[in-house]
Formats: sequence, structure tokens, C-alpha cells
Amino acid sequence: MGFADFLGNEATVRHLREALAADRLPHSLILAGPRGAGKYTLAIMLAQAANCLSPAETDGLPDFCGVCSNCERIGQAADLNARVDEALAARDELREVDKKETRILVQTHPDVLVIPPDPPQLLIKLGQVRTLIREIYRIPAQARRAFYIFTSSAFMKEAANSLLKVLEEPPEHASILLLTENPGELLPTIRSRASTFRLGAIPLEEIEALLAQRRTDWKPAERALIARLAEGAVGRALSFDLAGYLASRADALVILRNATREPDYSTLFRMTETYRAGAEGQEKTAGLLRAFHALLEDLLLLREGAPHLVRNIDLQKELAALADGVTLAWIEAAARGAQAVESGMRRNLLRSLALDSFATQLVR
Amino acid sequence: MLVGVEQEKTVQGASMEISVSRQDLLRELTATQSVVERKTTIPILSNFLFEAGDDGITITATDLDQSIRTTCAAKVKKPGSCTIPARKLYDYIKLLPEGDISIKLLDNHWVQIRSGRSNTKMVGMARANFPQVPEFPEASITRIPVASLKSLISKTIFAISNEESRYTLNGALLILKAESIAMVATDGHRLAHIEKSGEDFPGIGPEKKTLIPRKALSELQSLLSNTDAEALDFADDDHTLYFRIGARVLTSRKLTGQFPNYEAVLPRDNNKFVVVRSEDLSGSIQRVAQFADERSGAIRIRIEQNELKISSSSTETGESEDTIDSPYTFDPIVVGFNSAYLLDFLKAIGNTGEVRLEFKDSQSAGQMRPEDGSEDYKYRYIIMPMRI
Repeated sequence: MGFADFLGNEATVRHLREALAADRLPHSLILAGPRGAGKYTLAIMLAQAANCLSPAETDGLPDFCGVCSNCERIGQAADLNARVDEALAARDELREVDKKETRILVQTHPDVLVIPPDPPQLLIKLGQVRTLIREIYRIPAQARRAFYIFTSSAFMKEAANSLLKVLEEPPEHASILLLTENPGELLPTIRSRASTFRLGAIPLEEIEALLAQRRTDWKPAERALIARLAEGAVGRALSFDLAGYLASRADALVILRNATREPDYSTLFRMTETYRAGAEGQEKTAGLLRAFHALLEDLLLLREGAPHLVRNIDLQKELAALADGVTLAWIEAAARGAQAVESGMRRNLLRSLALDSFATQLVR
Repeated sequence: MLVGVEQEKTVQGASMEISVSRQDLLRELTATQSVVERKTTIPILSNFLFEAGDDGITITATDLDQSIRTTCAAKVKKPGSCTIPARKLYDYIKLLPEGDISIKLLDNHWVQIRSGRSNTKMVGMARANFPQVPEFPEASITRIPVASLKSLISKTIFAISNEESRYTLNGALLILKAESIAMVATDGHRLAHIEKSGEDFPGIGPEKKTLIPRKALSELQSLLSNTDAEALDFADDDHTLYFRIGARVLTSRKLTGQFPNYEAVLPRDNNKFVVVRSEDLSGSIQRVAQFADERSGAIRIRIEQNELKISSSSTETGESEDTIDSPYTFDPIVVGFNSAYLLDFLKAIGNTGEVRLEFKDSQSAGQMRPEDGSEDYKYRYIIMPMRI
């Protein structure tokens, strides 16, 4: 156990550990990076390193043992999805009146509070920030430094605003970590109160090597495809849901083919009909749009003569053929259209209609 | 999920079997169940921890901020430990008739509860998941009389701030001196201060100040009113406060931050005063407050020529005035207050006896004191005036 298990982004990790060593870890920090870059993993590791009961040093910088009671309990939060599922199950068992007011929190160690976006809206809500405000001024019971980790930057407006005062006047003994894929999503007033650390993409070769070592259950061709699709994010590569992606991509291809070749509306509408309301539909739509963006990116790369960078390598031939039929302006318009659908989703547009309108507009 | 550091005592298939009288068990569960958080998504926190030793059981509940641990006499057939869903157990035990209850740990954290011809099984969680609860320290314990602390809490707790952002005001300050004990609470608009002299705290230096969170105070209040003990043990370390009342131990994590320098705001030259019966004052304020501005609850107090006039007016409801006769020989004075703050104090002194209102001028804080307060207790309540 230790920071050695954290792959890539050595510079950022070193900076944070140096801050720990000097006892100057910022009271509020933003950890930015794409999905699966290891933001949460790093946040948990920092909490462990700051509170390890038998602290070790590696490379002259603080590390953690992973087995002492603090490390172990904090480490139990590492599998966030499982903990959130447990919390959801616990909420389901509450009385009806209490359910509405109960927010999802993960606290495997009394002094490390993980605040995930609250389902079903998947936003950080006021009740969660209130809990933080109530808890953070208590002296840590078993830790040297208390950690409060927001795993998403999708805040309800009032929740974000109520966080400002604590960010401005944080207690001596606590750090607030804000994890985000896009720092621009946070309020400027939050950004200005926190220091930002970034996790970047790690090179394709490193990811391929890692997959070859850890995911021997995948076929080499799958590994090559996944390594490219992970966009340099370790966590995403290791836990890639290829089947889910391929399904989304098949749907995205329907839109693409429909737009660039002979339109086949019955196939298109049969597909868009499966995108329904609710949390499941939301995820499915997000997957479709991501796959669509990935395909557009490949088309762009093929058109502009950089075929070695294509991510969907298994579709290279078909994509090359498609690329010949589109212009740069069309690709740009398509990307904008997909973004419009995305922002429409946030405004609760009817998903299947939004997709229909988007797909028909693309037809040249 | 949480893992206590303490190792499970029984390694091979945990076991526990006890028999306890329903009356004893219910009494202890009632005392501990209030810290069990209703709205928690951390499953283990909605459980009681039962630990059976050789001569009885201990029951623990915690919400990570505070914990209560209590002991209960029981016949222990097999020592061991287990966790039991708190709410369900408490509701179930309440419904059982008087008699002995047997609790037995089965496989996979199932717990069997039998009493007379009732037989119930419910599923708990692994004992190892139960959070570690701090142990009462051995050193530097202060014994505080139960009656004193109870009275101190009830006379200050209402003045604690509800505003989350003013975190240093979310508790009351306990001040122990060698021969006195005092408590202060404020929300920035009013301040309640009570001091009891004639105590004896050996081992307390010149002064020991401790900020006690509101949640802990209300737990303490209910523990203190349900005990026969004369005195409680109080101790603290870097991060936790401990109160031991009889066989029950309450712990609470400390709050950070400095309680404001309240001594600076205690008025010194409020030399105009009037004495009225609490009951009269309370009645008048309640009547007049009906016609006060709904948001501020502001009422005007005018004192002149042996008369205390309380009045209010609002554009929506109308206006109202009450007059109480009382000797007053100083310069006339008019001052506005929040009626709710005045009533809080009158309620705290039980609306009995006489109360003395002391003023300086209409821009300065007013002070209220019970007129016939006993020698030992010095109780004062300071309210900031309102402009009306």
C-alpha cells in the first residue's frame, strides 16, 4: 500500500505530499481531472497519509501503511460505489417522513466525511453541506487532520453558496477536497477560495502496459481499444464497461449513418424511443453523447490526416469511409448539436424528442 | 462501515447469551436511544452495541459526535457482544410485558429475543463495525453536583445560537473555579449567565473553561433528570468531553474556536431599575406581542412615574398596550426589545417570583435578574435593545 500504487501524475502527487510533509496542506483544494483519472483514489490516499498511525516515508515524502486502524477505516471508503449503495439501502429502510430529509453520506472513519452527489438528481444538496458545516468545527476524534471530500462538483445552487463561509474560515484541523472533472463548473467564488491541483492524462503506452498486466481476462484487441477509449485515465481503463460503451456507440453510429448516408428514420426512431425519462435514461443518454463525441473526434482525426490517433480502432475502416463524406463544418455543427442536447438534458427536455430533433438536423 | 480497533473477543463463532429484566433493560435503552440518529445512512449507527461481561451488560449508542454507554444488571450465560437495530429493539421491548427477557446471539449476526411466549429474531451487524467509543479517562476528574449542573443548563440552554455559521456560539461555556461553577450561553442578541457559588472543586486551578455543544447539553439534561445520583464525574481530554452520571457515560466531541469574551458585554452601570412580578410581566408581554411586528416581535417598554408600560403596534394587526404599576423613581426611559427573548427568560425562571429589569438608556443592553434569587445562584440575562 502507499502512493506507489497511484499511477501517473507524479508531479501533482509529489506536490501534495510535499505540502503534507511541510504540514501545509491547503484547507481547501480542488482536485481536477477527467473521469477515472484517480481524483478520489488520490483524495483517500491523502487522508490516509495525513492520519496514518505508523507513518512511513518513501522517496523522502510522507506515505501511509494501509493497515493501521486509521488507514484501514479510511480505506474502506475507497470503493465509493459500494458504500453509496449501502447508504442508499439504509435510506430505503427509513420511515417515509425521514427519507426525504436524509442525505447520502459516507463516513467510514469518524473524521473523514465523503459527500457524494445525492441520488436521484445526483447533485450535492444543502443538507449535505449543512452536515459538513456542523461537523467540521468539532475537533477530530481519532485523526490528526479531518477530511471532507466532495466527489462531484454538481452542486445545488444554495448548497454551493452555503459552502463559501466555511471555505473562507476553515478550522485549523480540517481540509475540504473538491473533486471535479471541470473546475469551471464550480462557482468562481469557490474556485478563488481553494487551490487547484490537476490530474492529467497518462500516455497510451503506460495504460496498455498496465492493462496487459492487470486485466488478463480481456482479449488483446479489447485491451488496445479500451486503452485508447480511456483517454489517459487509469481508473476508467481498469474498470471500463466495454459492453456498455459498444451499445452506446452502436446507437451513436445509427445517428451518424442516418445523417451521412440514406436516412433510415424507422431504425433511428426505434433507437431513440429506448431513451426514456428517469435516472437510467439520463445515464444512457450521457453514454450515447460521450460515444458520439468520441466518434466525431475520430472522424476529425481521420479527415485531417492523423489516423494513428483514432480511438475506435475496431471501426477504422467504416469511420474512414464516413470521414470522406463529411466536412469540417459539418463535424463542428454536429459537436455543437450534441452539446445542445446535453444542456437540454439538464433542463429536463424529453430525451427521445431531443435526440430525434438532433439526429434529423444532422441530415445533410 | 466502521471498524473498531478492539478485537472481537470471541474468535470462533461469536456467541452471547443473557437474561435481563424488562424493566432494567427498558430503562437503560430509554437513556441511550436518544443519541441514535434517526436519519443516518451509515447503517451501523442505527444499532446498539451490547457487550456482556461476567456480571452484567453494557449498552452503547453513538452518532460519531457523541456516545452514551450504560451498564445494566443481567444474568450472563455466555459473555460476548453483538449489535442490534436500535429503533426496532426499543419499540419491541416497550411492547413486551414485564418479566425476564433473554437475548441470544445466533449465527450471521442474527439475534434472538425471547420473553414469556414471545419469540423474535432480528439481524444486527458485525460487532467489529461498531465505531470505537472513547473510554472515560482515569485522571483529572471533577465531581459536580447534579442539582447545580441541571439548574445551570436549564437556565442557559435556550440562549444558545441556532445559526450554524456562528459555530463558537453553538454551545454553552462551562466555567469551573475552585469554589464556583458558572455557565454562559449567547446567540449574539442575548446572553444568559448563571453562577453558583459555595461549591468545592479541589484540583481545579484558577479557572477551567469548557465549551459544551448544544446537543451534548440536551442529552445531559435528560440524563440528569433521570438519575438518583447526587453528583456526576466530568473530565475531558484534547478532543472529547466525558460526563459520568451513575453508571452512564456520555461523551461528546469538543467544538473548536474561542467562545467570545462575554465579560466585556456584561453591563456595569445599568442604574435604573424596576421590579415587577414575573407572572404579570409575562402575561402582559404575551398579550402585547400579539400585535407586534411578526418578524421582529419587537415591543416597546416605557417606564415613568411608577408605571411600566408595554406597547406594540404593527400596520397589519393594530396596536396594544399593557400597564403594570410598580415603584420607579428614576428618569423616564423608553427601550425596545424582542418579546420572545424576554419571554424565554421568564419561562426559564418558571414565571414565579419577582424580576428586576435594569436599564442604562435606550441604546444600551438591558439586564434581567430574578429579584428573590437565592444566595447561591447569581442569574443574569442580558438583551440587546431594538430600535423601534
